[in-house]
Amino acid sequence: MSSYFDLTSSLWKWDSPIWLLVLTLTGMYFLLQRSTSGKRGAAFSVAMLALTLAYISPIGVLSDGYLFSAHVVQHLLLLLIIPLFLLLSLSESAMESLFSRPFMNRLGSVMAVPFLGWLSGLGVMWFWHIPSFCNASTVNYSLGIFRDATFLLAGLAFWWPVFSPVKRYHLNPSVAVAYLFSACLACTLLGIYITFTVISVCPAFASPVDRIGILNLLYDQGLNPATDQRLGGLLMWVPPCSLYVTAIMVVLKRWYADIETVPTSQTTANPGSLREAHQ
Amino acid sequence: MNSVIPVLDPASPQAEAINDLFLQVLLISAVVFAIVSGLILIAISRGRRRDTQPDQNFGSERSEIFWMIGPVVIVIWLVAISAHLIITLNAIPEVAPDGKINFDDVDLIVTGHQWWWEVKYPKSGVITANEIYLPADKDKKFRVLVTSADVIHSFWVAQLGPKIDAIPGRDNFIWLQASKPGSYQGRCSEYCGAQHAWMNFKVYAVTKEEFQQWEASEKQATEQPRLLSPLAAAGKKYFFQATCPRCHTVQGTAADATIGPDLTHFARRKEIGAGVIENTPANLALWLKNPQALKPGCKMPDFKLSETNLKQLVAYLETLK
Amino acid sequence: MTTGSVEESQLTMLEPQPTSTRMLDWVSTLDHKRIGIMYILTAVFYLAVGGFEALLMRIQLAFPNNTFLSPEMFNQLFTMHGTTMVFLVGMPVLTGFANYFVPLMIGARDVAFPRLNSFGFWMFFFGAALLHFSFLTGSAPNAGWFSYVPLSSKAYSSLQGVDYWIIGLLIMGIGSVSGAINIFATIINLRAPGMSLQRVPLFVWMMLMQAILIILALPALNSALAMLLIDRWLGSAFFDPTRGGSAVLWQHYFWIFGHPEVYILILPGFGMISEVIPVFSRKPIYGYTFIAASSVAIVLLGYGVWAHHMFAVGLGMYADIFFAVGSLLIAIPTGIKVFNWTATLWGGEIKFNTSLHFAIAFLLQFVIGGLTGIMFAAVPIDWQLTDTYFVVAHFHYVLIGGLVFALFSAAYYWFPKMTGRMLNERIGILQFWLWVLGFNMTFMVQHFLGMMGMPRRVYTYADNPGWALLNGIATLGAVFMAVGTLVFLWNIFKSLHSGKIAGDNPWDAFTLEWATTSPPPPENFPVIPEVKSRRPVWDINHPEYADWKKEKTPEDKGRRGNLAKIAAWSFIASEAVFFLLLLVAYVVFNTKLMAPVGEASSPETLSDVTSSVLDVKRTGIFSLFLITSSLTFWVAERFLKAGKKSAFVFSLGLTILLGIIFLGGQVWEYTGLLSNGISINSDLFSATFFTVTGFHGIHVTAGVIALFVMLLMGLKGNLSSEKTHVFGAVGVYWHFVDVVWIAVFGIIYLGLLQ
Repeated sequence: MSSYFDLTSSLWKWDSPIWLLVLTLTGMYFLLQRSTSGKRGAAFSVAMLALTLAYISPIGVLSDGYLFSAHVVQHLLLLLIIPLFLLLSLSESAMESLFSRPFMNRLGSVMAVPFLGWLSGLGVMWFWHIPSFCNASTVNYSLGIFRDATFLLAGLAFWWPVFSPVKRYHLNPSVAVAYLFSACLACTLLGIYITFTVISVCPAFASPVDRIGILNLLYDQGLNPATDQRLGGLLMWVPPCSLYVTAIMVVLKRWYADIETVPTSQTTANPGSLREAHQ
Repeated sequence: MNSVIPVLDPASPQAEAINDLFLQVLLISAVVFAIVSGLILIAISRGRRRDTQPDQNFGSERSEIFWMIGPVVIVIWLVAISAHLIITLNAIPEVAPDGKINFDDVDLIVTGHQWWWEVKYPKSGVITANEIYLPADKDKKFRVLVTSADVIHSFWVAQLGPKIDAIPGRDNFIWLQASKPGSYQGRCSEYCGAQHAWMNFKVYAVTKEEFQQWEASEKQATEQPRLLSPLAAAGKKYFFQATCPRCHTVQGTAADATIGPDLTHFARRKEIGAGVIENTPANLALWLKNPQALKPGCKMPDFKLSETNLKQLVAYLETLK
Repeated sequence: MTTGSVEESQLTMLEPQPTSTRMLDWVSTLDHKRIGIMYILTAVFYLAVGGFEALLMRIQLAFPNNTFLSPEMFNQLFTMHGTTMVFLVGMPVLTGFANYFVPLMIGARDVAFPRLNSFGFWMFFFGAALLHFSFLTGSAPNAGWFSYVPLSSKAYSSLQGVDYWIIGLLIMGIGSVSGAINIFATIINLRAPGMSLQRVPLFVWMMLMQAILIILALPALNSALAMLLIDRWLGSAFFDPTRGGSAVLWQHYFWIFGHPEVYILILPGFGMISEVIPVFSRKPIYGYTFIAASSVAIVLLGYGVWAHHMFAVGLGMYADIFFAVGSLLIAIPTGIKVFNWTATLWGGEIKFNTSLHFAIAFLLQFVIGGLTGIMFAAVPIDWQLTDTYFVVAHFHYVLIGGLVFALFSAAYYWFPKMTGRMLNERIGILQFWLWVLGFNMTFMVQHFLGMMGMPRRVYTYADNPGWALLNGIATLGAVFMAVGTLVFLWNIFKSLHSGKIAGDNPWDAFTLEWATTSPPPPENFPVIPEVKSRRPVWDINHPEYADWKKEKTPEDKGRRGNLAKIAAWSFIASEAVFFLLLLVAYVVFNTKLMAPVGEASSPETLSDVTSSVLDVKRTGIFSLFLITSSLTFWVAERFLKAGKKSAFVFSLGLTILLGIIFLGGQVWEYTGLLSNGISINSDLFSATFFTVTGFHGIHVTAGVIALFVMLLMGLKGNLSSEKTHVFGAVGVYWHFVDVVWIAVFGIIYLGLLQ
């Protein structure tokens, strides 16, 4: 048994290649978004922090073959948190001009088709938890990278119709609510399946290779494979659903504040509308 | 000895912890209720005196968020303390990781039947009904497997802590422990059919020595042939002529059916019919005369026994100590 | 089309000519107000029945060891009391109020589907009658209102009571879902110009939420009922643990329905209170958007917390914690509502009449019920107090202290609109105090009885210290409530004859129902007022303080959906939940090694027959026929739009043929299985297989019939290209049936997820 210091240091993977991606993205961000507001900058920092933590912190190390639950946390960061905050960090005007080009506009519209976003977001969630695929991607390094990339892209596609910086791609609020709610339903089903099934969803986690000698410690903490999988299933179920419900509240807030976009002439003369529009 | 308000009179560490949580939530609730009702009553008493058109106030986001802080903090606090209690109590011990139950680890197997409780001590082989003997001990937790032979029941001893459902085809676990000696009322609390009301049991927490004595004597009596009085001997004969052995067991005899309660040490039990009446010879006669009168719908039929047979049976059953 | 799609000429067509008998007039009516009143009257009748059942139970429990009722009778009474109060009183009375007031409040002339509305009412009426008919067979249902298995299975409830219960609930469920689809479509489609969805009165908003809840939650009950019925009648073993079935699955399915059901009952109550409090505080509702959005949150969270009814089942530590979190989270949106109601009262000019009396009592009692609810969400407290009288007290505080008081408040508020006369205030206050006293006497003491260890649903109890006294008080309180109800009925009769004439708007209230006469004429409004804010009638009566001058709300963009499509989609949403749960049951019972945690999973409990008996290739080919039929249907739709009749008829005919070929394949498969001795009661695989594919087959058959009707209409030339949306609605259904089959094929035949 290694000392506490060794243990903590072995749980952090400072030499992860993720730094390259983070640096590239940061560079691109500042190149593209010259004038960025505090909020957007904060959103971008959150996205980058989450991306970094997903790989270099114990989440990254433990999800690499040790704990299914850590793998789920990483998975949720990649699929839900990072893409969401990336989208929130983009400025509306810059993206508006980017997506005014015909090709980009078509891309944006295709991504705004709710069926596609839903299918990619929930599809990767289900696909990578079919036992054989889950196992293969955990064992095979490059397949794992491919999986993580699909998570990020699918996450972008999933959030695009709701939180795209370009407003015209947004779904109609009622559709957006149905979109998010059905997504919650789908990950509830997956979460329940993972929580209550007795088969190992990802056999690689059932018999981990103890690379850094912490397996006994984990088992002593009660994180045996069965408990670990159940915890993972619940993480797959509750946090995403909470996030979706929060997103639904945001959509509703947007909907109730939808005052100035009325084409009728009668409201423009109204003195109150200006004040409201500023709020 | 039975407590009047058992939920507020805990007699085990688990029940104490739950009681503390309950009182805490009760206090929070009382404060919340006082604030809400106070505000409403003030608003009404002030508003009744007003006779001018009030300010048309549509609300403000800021005050909504301000007033949301309270509930959010309370909810987070409640999540924290109840989750902590769920984990520390470990009130539902998990099944072994491999899904198999090691029966050697179980101190007690309680099986719900319509409408009585079968109690088995797998380590000593003692079998009884509607009463559980425990050594009163602050440190020793009894691991109890709770299951059911027919429909869903629920095993609940209010003073000793949480309840757990007895579900057919499923093994549930619970820790049972009593800090101090005494008798504790237990009840079935999941509706289970006609006689759900009379599916009581008692937990007797006794000293360690008393418990060992009790266990030894429960085991011992099964092997000893007894010298019976003529009346009791006739009763024994009748017992085996009649249909009694089709449902009941008397260990050491040919009667070994498990549909009804085990009668091996019947005379030592304190109650008949899962709490319907006290176990005295007179009450036993009353019960045998027509169980359906005392516990309508119970599985033991009215045998319409003759007076003589009745007396003989009572005499025999009273020897089963 | 000023008021939506039901035009005046259509309406006069719909309304039958006046007949000589008034009775027949009522029975055959399609007017939403009359149907609403019939709902309310039927519910009041069953309120009396359910209340009488409760009174009998309270008499039995007034003394220890009482023998007033036999245990068998007592058990039937509490089962029927619960079922009656939930399904025969709570749901229909709310549907009744919604029927009457939703069209009025949104400025519509009728509901979207008057015939469907009438159908829904009569389904409810006869379902309720059937349920009570069971008393005449000598055995009313007696397994409790949630009929836990195995108690409700044939082995332990061999008499017909439970069968009546199942069939009655299924029939009423059809009525409820059709009623909900109707309300949903009405609110979405028939709003008056200017009434954007962000401007509807909160009662309407809550009814919209309730309709969504009903559409998505009832199918969970239906799937459970279907399985129980198959268990009882055809001898399958879904819920029989001795043959590998699960005793816990029923509880999951029942509460997936049962918990949203709580919100189905209480959300309209919230809506009523949100109408009454502002009017009698002379202020707009405080924080409209927060109340509306928080009810969306409640609807969403309401689907995810069902297992908090099952904390004592032993689902495991993690499940308990997560369901506790979900349940506690609901406290936040509920707290927001209570805050907003209080803030509306705050600084208002309070008109403290009977209606507001009931509303205030609602607030205080609901807060008590909510706080005890929080206690149950803290799991360890639930482990102590669930299934005791504490829980009885808790849900009666929510459902009587909350819902029933809201209903009385609404009754005093809306009676003038419905009848043209005011209810008597003095009698009203008398009734109020009888109810407040009686209610709190009955149910406050039950908190203590629970803590004293009294389990719920016991027909009698031993003479434990204190129990007799508290139970006596509870019984006395029930008598108070009964007297209060009689006072209320007396008030209604008296006021109908000699009540003060109300006029159009006696309260100077805010919403559109007060812009018409009391009672409203058959088509509701002579002229529909302009809607520019959330309080159109206030704007008219107080132009100098008009809301739209001060508080901007989103304008109506004039978007209204297509009625046929809305109905089709909401119906399909309901059906999808039904199939989803049947498929979940298939996966639960057929995944090897997969059993809910803690469930014994020894080899002999697993199925003897598996999907290996199925001919995957053959069924695969037949599946292709079904999937192709979706394609030909799409082609047919194109041809219809283009107006090419013969091509349309040909491709639609081809669609029907493909559907029939698929059904033929299913018949072939079934015959093969049955001749090999594999039938629905063989084991769990066959039970789930036949249930899922059988229900799907029934749906395909129904679809083929619908297509056939379309074909006939097409041949006769009744299906013009303008009516494509009707055809499109059938198409939504047909495509849905195909999509379900793809899921069925993937899971059952290809064994994905196993």
